[in-house]
Amino acid sequence: MTEVTERFFASLPARAPEVLGGLADGTLQIELTTGDLTEHWLVRMRPGFVQVGRHRGPADAIWYSSAVLFDRLVTGEAQGVAAVLRNESTFSGNVVLFLAFRRFFPDPPGTRDPREVAREQAGRRA
Amino acid sequence: MKDLVSILDGNTFLVSDRTGDIEPSYDFPTGLFSFDTRFLSNWVLTLDGERLHALSMDDAESYRTRFFLAPGEPTHYLDAKASVIRNRAIVGSFQEQLTVLNHAGEEVEFTVRIEMAADFADLFEIKNARQKRGRTTVSTADNELRLTYRREAFHRETVINSSAPASVDASGMTFQIRVPPNSEWTTTLHVSTIVYGARGEDIRATLPYGGSRSADAIRAEQQELIDRAPKLGCDCEPLAGAYRRSLNDLAALRYESIALGVRLLAAGLPWFMTLFGRDSIITSLQVLPFLPELIPPTIVMLAGLQGHRVDDFRDEEPGKILHELRYGETAGFEEQPHSPYYGSADSTPLFIILLDEYERWTGDTQLVRRLEPHVRAALRWIDTYGDLLGTGYLWYQTRNPETGLQNQCWKDSWDGISYADGRMPGFPRATCEMQGYAYDAKIRAARLARTFWGDPAYADRLEREAAALKQRFNHDFWIADREYYALALDADGRQVDALSSNIGHLLWSGIVDESRAGKVVEHLLGPRLFSGWGVRTLAEDQSRYNPIGYHVGTVWPFDNSIIAWGLWRYGFREEAGQICDAMLAASRYFGGRLPEAFAGYARNLTDYPVEYPTACSPQAWSTGTPLLLLRVMLGLEPQGEHLIIDPAVPAGMGRIELLDIPGRWGRVDALGRSRDPEEPLGR
Repeated sequence: MTEVTERFFASLPARAPEVLGGLADGTLQIELTTGDLTEHWLVRMRPGFVQVGRHRGPADAIWYSSAVLFDRLVTGEAQGVAAVLRNESTFSGNVVLFLAFRRFFPDPPGTRDPREVAREQAGRRA
Repeated sequence: MKDLVSILDGNTFLVSDRTGDIEPSYDFPTGLFSFDTRFLSNWVLTLDGERLHALSMDDAESYRTRFFLAPGEPTHYLDAKASVIRNRAIVGSFQEQLTVLNHAGEEVEFTVRIEMAADFADLFEIKNARQKRGRTTVSTADNELRLTYRREAFHRETVINSSAPASVDASGMTFQIRVPPNSEWTTTLHVSTIVYGARGEDIRATLPYGGSRSADAIRAEQQELIDRAPKLGCDCEPLAGAYRRSLNDLAALRYESIALGVRLLAAGLPWFMTLFGRDSIITSLQVLPFLPELIPPTIVMLAGLQGHRVDDFRDEEPGKILHELRYGETAGFEEQPHSPYYGSADSTPLFIILLDEYERWTGDTQLVRRLEPHVRAALRWIDTYGDLLGTGYLWYQTRNPETGLQNQCWKDSWDGISYADGRMPGFPRATCEMQGYAYDAKIRAARLARTFWGDPAYADRLEREAAALKQRFNHDFWIADREYYALALDADGRQVDALSSNIGHLLWSGIVDESRAGKVVEHLLGPRLFSGWGVRTLAEDQSRYNPIGYHVGTVWPFDNSIIAWGLWRYGFREEAGQICDAMLAASRYFGGRLPEAFAGYARNLTDYPVEYPTACSPQAWSTGTPLLLLRVMLGLEPQGEHLIIDPAVPAGMGRIELLDIPGRWGRVDALGRSRDPEEPLGR
C-alpha cells in the first residue's frame, strides 16, 4: 500500500461531483498487485457520487494494474489507456466504468495552461 | 503501384497483390492487419518453385476473395497442365483454402510452397520503417507455424495451421503432393491473429462478439443490417448501385473495439481502421436517417473518452472530444500520441451537433439526459481552451510538434491551410468551418437545455452567444471585395484569403448571413471550385492548387455531401441537386464505391474522375455520402414527431422512393420524382 494511492482514493468522494458524469454508473473492482500481493479496491460510481471500499465485491468491471503503475497514474506521470494498449494493465467488463474512473487522474506534472502559452506567443509576435 | 486486393471484416483486413501474394512493402500497407498490427508481412505461393499469375478473381463480397491462378508467365498459361485456386476469407481470423488442380491425364507430383513471415509492424512504422524494439520468435509443430512478438508485456502472435500434412520450417510450409489425373488436392490454412491481455488471455475471446465468426455468421449479420435499412427504389442505376454498395461497406466497416468492447465503425481502409472523432461523427450524421441504431455506441465512446486533463503530448484538454484512437504498439509505448490523441478542434462542436441530430430523429431523450454533463463540458471547452487567444473563435495549435498534427481541422495535411498566394499562416489558426460548427453547436445545445435539461437561462445564454458569434464572424471572415468567406484567420486576426470548399460547410451550419448565401453558392458552383464532378477542396486559381493534392485541389465526396446539405438548408435545391448528380455520376466509375478523394481535374478534360493515388477505400464518410445525398434530394427533415418530406430530385433522375425510413414516427415512406422537360409541370 503506497501513501500516494491511499491519499488518492481518500480524495475521490469530494471530487466526484465535479468529475463523474452521466456515464458513471456501476461498480469497478481495482486489483493492484505487488509481487504476489494483491490489494483490492471496490469503487461504486454514480453520476456525481463515489463510494470506495477496500475489499472485493460484485463488480461490473475489473481493472488490473501493478501498484507501481497505479502510483504513476495517480500522479499524472502515466496514462491509463496507453498502459492498457501496451498491456501493462488490463481490464474486463464494462469499459465505460474504466473510462469514467480515469477522469480522476490529474494532469501530467509541469503542465501549463495552453491558453497562457498561446497568448504569450501571439503577444510576442504582435 | 500494383493493383491491390483488399478484404476486411471490422478492423481485421488483408491487402495482397492480384495473385493473392503478400510481400513486404513500405509505401502501401500490404499484409494481414488487425488492430493496427501487421500479423503477416510475407505470404508468397509457388508451385514447383515458380510464382503464379492471375487468370481471374472473384471479389464480390467484402470479406472473401477467390483467385484463379496458373503457373508461369502469362504468355504460356494457355497450355497449363495445372491451376490453383485460392479461396480466402476474413472470418475473425484469416482462412485460405488452397486447391491445386491437375489437368493432365496422368498423376503429377508437385511441390507447393508458401513463404510465411510476420514483422508485427505497427501501422505507423510502415511509412517510416525502423528497427522493432521487441523480439520475434518462431516455433514449429505438426502442421503449425507460430510467430510470436514480445516487447515487455506487449504480446502478439500469429499462428498458422494447415489441415493437410505440411513440412514446416521457420519461414513457411512445403507440401510434397501427388495429384491423380484430372483431380485436385486441397488444404485449408488457418491464420489466427492473437492479441494477449496482461494475464495471458486472448483479449478478443473475452469480448462480447468474440474473435472469430464463421463466414455464414458474417454474411447473416451483414444481411441483417442491410435488411433493417430503408428500401430504395429508383430509376437511376448509379444511385441504386451506390446505395447498395454503401450499405454493404458500412456493414463491413463495423468492428469490435479491442480496447472498448463495443461495435464501432472504422474510418477507412487501409490507414484508418480505427475510431476517429471527426470521421465517425460525420459518418454518423450521414447514416442516421437510415441506420440510427449504429449511432449510440459511437456517441457513448466519444463521451467516455472525452478529454479530462491538460496533456501536451496528446493535445488534450478538459471537455475536448478525441481525434483518433489507435490500438497498436506505438500508441501503447507512447511513441505516438493516439491513446487517444485529441488534435482536432472541430470534433467537440460536431459531437454536440450529432447528439442533437440523433435525438431529433430518434426521440432517444434518455441518452440526451445522461450526456448532459458531457455536452456542458464540451460547450465549456469551446469557450475556454478552444478559444486559445480569447477572441471568441475556435483556434488550434499543437503542443506536440514532434508527433502531433499541425492542422487540426479536416484539412489536416501540412499544406491544407494557406493564403491565396500560397503563403502559410502562423499558429494558432482559426479556420472558418470550425466557427460555423461552434455556432450550430450552441444553437442546438440551446434546444437541448430548454427541452431536456430544464435550464432555459442557459439556453438563452447559448443563443445570445451564438448570435454574437454569427455577427462577429460575418464581420471578420467576409472578404468584401471578393465576396466569399476567408478560409481562416491567422494569429494576428488577419484573413487567410484562399477560396476553398470550407465555405460550403458554413451553409450547413447556418452561420452565413442570408444576404450573402447567393454569393457563396455562386463560388461553390462556379468554375474555380466546381470541377464538374464535385466541389474542389481548393479553387483552381489559388497558388497551392494541385488537382492531385490531398487537401488542396482534390474532390472529397464527404465534403460535397455536407455542402449539398448546406445548399439545401439555404433553399438552393437545384444547386444541391447538381452536386448530388455529379457525385452519383462519379460513383459509377468506382463501382458504386466513392473513394476518399479523387482528382480535381475538370470533367471536360478527363471524361472520368481520376482516383487519388493512395485514396482509402472503402472510407466510412465516403460510404455515407450517397445516403446523405438521398436525404438531400428527398428533403427529409424531422420536425417534432413527424418527418417532413420535401423532394427536389435533379432533372433526369426520374423516380426515387425510399421505403420504411426509421425514426420517432415509426417508419414512413418518401417519394420523389424529377421534373423533366417532357413532363407537364406540377407532376
